[in-house]
Amino acid sequence: MKTCIACGMPMENASDYAMGDVKKDYCRFCARPDGSMQSYEEKLSSLTDFIIKTQGLDRQVAGSTAKAMLAKLPAWS
Amino acid sequence: MSPAGSAHERTEADTKQQAQTNENRRQMQKRQTRTRIIETALKLFAQNGFARTSTLAVAKESEVSHGTIFAHFKTQDELIIAVIGEFGDRINKRLHELAGGRSRLREVLKSHLDGLAEFEDFYIRLVTEIRLLPVEVRNTFTMIQSTVSFHISQAYEREEGHLKKLPVHMVFNGWMGLIHYYLGNNDLFSPGQSVLGRYGEELAEYYINLISRD
Repeated sequence: MKTCIACGMPMENASDYAMGDVKKDYCRFCARPDGSMQSYEEKLSSLTDFIIKTQGLDRQVAGSTAKAMLAKLPAWS
Repeated sequence: MSPAGSAHERTEADTKQQAQTNENRRQMQKRQTRTRIIETALKLFAQNGFARTSTLAVAKESEVSHGTIFAHFKTQDELIIAVIGEFGDRINKRLHELAGGRSRLREVLKSHLDGLAEFEDFYIRLVTEIRLLPVEVRNTFTMIQSTVSFHISQAYEREEGHLKKLPVHMVFNGWMGLIHYYLGNNDLFSPGQSVLGRYGEELAEYYINLISRD
């Protein structure tokens, strides 16, 4: 099973992939509406927002955690 | 090409292949040693906590020299981070398998507990000692929590009609608060046995009732 190079999510089913395309290395959450992969800035900001929305962390803490998370992923290391 | 020449080439090819085999074997042994150190450290951290487990104890229990530990992990913190990363990978994989797709929130909460129950002692040490551990550990923990919060928020949003209208982070934090209270005080709730085994089902049912509309 592949994991998304941009956020680390395991991609099990075709529907997990960007545009349902299993040849892609990134998931549907890391794709722009046209299917291309989001930039680092876009991903950092969406991941920060995601952490705030789902865990309620302070914005600055969420931002630095998101940065540390992205640094471990093949797309951004 | 003379027969002698081709024999020579063959020997050279054999030597190369042998070297490659030896290299592969070395790499494999190195990976196995690393895995053994991580498994042993996971066990010792679960038994004695992070602060009271020395790298020397990990070396002894893994049957490697103290130097070998540092050949794989430059510092003790690096070892701790690797162990927590391994724990996170396993728990997230399990959560993804059990709770992925179109599971209901009740199933997601139970899968979360099932995953944690496998590592209950380790998890208790982790959440009770985390403020004393390096910031990278805290980041790794937030990463693990992101996967949990992702599955919880997805399931919550799918079932919105049946559940109370609440901020998503409160749905997650409310759940974490509840289970961490039981885990952190396991000596009071369930001395000598798994607190999740004893109360997990009740906690999940209680929580679903708490946030259900009817």
